[in-house]
Amino acid sequence: MNRRLASIAAWLDDRTGWRTLRRHLLEEPLPAGTGWWFTLGSLLLFGLGIQVVTGIALALYYAPTPDHAWDSVRYVTTDVRAGAFLRGLHHWAASLVVIAAALHLVRVVFFGSYQKPREMNWLIGLALLAVILAFGLTGYLLPWDQRAYWATVVTINIARLTPAMGDAVAWLMKGGTEVGALTLTRWYAAHVVVLPVLLAGLVAAHLYLLRRHGISGPVRARLGPAKSFFPYQAARDVTVSVGSGVLLAILAWRGAPALDAPADPTSSDYVPRPEWYFLGLFQLLKYFPGRWEVVGALIVPGLAAAFLALLPWIDRSRSRDPRTRRIVLGIFTAGLAGVVTLTTLGAMDRPRRQPDVWTVQEEAGAILIASSDRCTRCHRADGMTAPVDPRRVSRPQDWLAAHIVDPEVIGPGVRDVPVSSNDAENNAIRAALGRMRVADPPPLDEASRKAIVLVNRYCLTCHVIGSVGGTDGPDLTHVGEKLDPGLIERRIINPADVQIDADMPAFGDKLTPEEIHSIAMWLGTRR
Amino acid sequence: MRFAIHDRRSFLARAVTGGLALVSAGLAALVGIAAAPRPHTAGRRWHRTVSLFDLPPERPLAAVIADRQADGWYETRKQSVVFIDREGSGYRALSATCSHLGCRVRWDATSELYLCPCHGGAYDRNGRVVAGPPPRPLQRLAARVNPQTSEIEVEL
Repeated sequence: MNRRLASIAAWLDDRTGWRTLRRHLLEEPLPAGTGWWFTLGSLLLFGLGIQVVTGIALALYYAPTPDHAWDSVRYVTTDVRAGAFLRGLHHWAASLVVIAAALHLVRVVFFGSYQKPREMNWLIGLALLAVILAFGLTGYLLPWDQRAYWATVVTINIARLTPAMGDAVAWLMKGGTEVGALTLTRWYAAHVVVLPVLLAGLVAAHLYLLRRHGISGPVRARLGPAKSFFPYQAARDVTVSVGSGVLLAILAWRGAPALDAPADPTSSDYVPRPEWYFLGLFQLLKYFPGRWEVVGALIVPGLAAAFLALLPWIDRSRSRDPRTRRIVLGIFTAGLAGVVTLTTLGAMDRPRRQPDVWTVQEEAGAILIASSDRCTRCHRADGMTAPVDPRRVSRPQDWLAAHIVDPEVIGPGVRDVPVSSNDAENNAIRAALGRMRVADPPPLDEASRKAIVLVNRYCLTCHVIGSVGGTDGPDLTHVGEKLDPGLIERRIINPADVQIDADMPAFGDKLTPEEIHSIAMWLGTRR
Repeated sequence: MRFAIHDRRSFLARAVTGGLALVSAGLAALVGIAAAPRPHTAGRRWHRTVSLFDLPPERPLAAVIADRQADGWYETRKQSVVFIDREGSGYRALSATCSHLGCRVRWDATSELYLCPCHGGAYDRNGRVVAGPPPRPLQRLAARVNPQTSEIEVEL
């Protein structure tokens, strides 16, 4: 058997010359003293390899359209076997790639490896860094959740600051007038077709030039025999890579990154934050408000990029010894410290999390969805259609609005929507659908459930409770502090009975005594 | 004890190859597990079809069963056609899907046969193959009468 294998291998070698190729690739002699610092490029390559493999697996399940992107990502996370791990791995390996690229760059600068004759490879390396960051930027949009959507809106608005051609650049990035379906397909195509092709070409060129000039090796040449890359340096590379791989697996095992609520272009209160490696830039922008914004958005990063690109020509030193390159290294270190500081400040400056309090309106909507006849008539386990699972709802807002008002509308605009007498409930269901995508409704007792539906329907039109409601009447958020349930009940039945000049209409003939009692008891607990 | 140079080299070579093989195997396994389609897990259940009183004595009646079906992150409606027929004092339900290549058979009143439009398969009223290429009879489905509604229900 072994002899047969050997003869097949010999035949293949004769026809293809693969043994020579392997020897050429693996047995490059490396200068003595080449050590652990020189494993960072391989670590980066390892991370990119993981991204390619996990990216292909994720592409099997991803649908790049606004209607389905979020849902398909949710499907990968919850329904595909090992899907959460897969997404987690792709997420964390993206960070590994950025970290490895940054460390590799720092190593090259401090070792002076960009100096003659390796200027071209330095430039190709910078282009690779740009491609890696572009991967991060385009990939961030693909889950199409709130975070993705709003971070992309901000990114494109930063690009609009480009002098003279800002609008053209933004238009090119959006593929249309708004961030939407055309943006998503565009960024998807960039992420899975354009950037991978660029990456493959640049990596090949980088490795070719690495072999052409050889690796730079330690700053001060050491005495000793050259050792071949395989297996000596390869062993260090594999150790670092496998170690990082285990770390990635542990991180990914803890689960996929959280999926935010689906992108909602109409929401006005979402505070977007970029991925951590753009936090420095994000922080920098805060120091240049108004018309100075372009300084933080483009000029400072542009100067930094120009400094890096011109480094081999700025640094006129003939030696790679750091002691002869104090000015260049000083500037670089200051810049590096700036990036680290800004990133740290950006990471610390996170918006205060809103306490997870449900509004009365959202609670009412959740109750209606779960138990009112208008929803459960069709949405139930043995009904015409599946029970409502807000985490899976991916219909656009206008469709939902029309469907809630008139369940038979399945194509908005097809026919006139009948006037609904119940806007309060319709709005509550819409609000709850949005909220329930990211959190489960709080548990409530039966009495509260009844009261909340009534309060939403009859009281919120004129009264504020918490953060929702109309402003015609007094704020009822803390009404229980001032009035006891008995008095509230009398006021609802006939306000004029309690206060002669009350504007509020009487509800004694509109609601049953039990309903009024239930509302009054619930309002009495608002303190 | 020190390894001889040659021993160290071959040890490292094995370790490197082994490490790479392990990582590759791990990634391949992950992709394999994630890429393998999930088996269809939807259970059978009883579906309402036609009313007992709508069933003519002389011929089978085609009924459409619409069922929800999960299709990844989609939910589609799957429509199946079954033929409901009397059989002695009971009822018979036959799937309208030809056992040859999955075309939909129709009832031909003149020949009193189920005919497949694709490759000329023919089945008698009991679903047995009488002509053409079908390898098996039409699939027989469980049928029952719901005494409350007088509807014939079919398990699918």
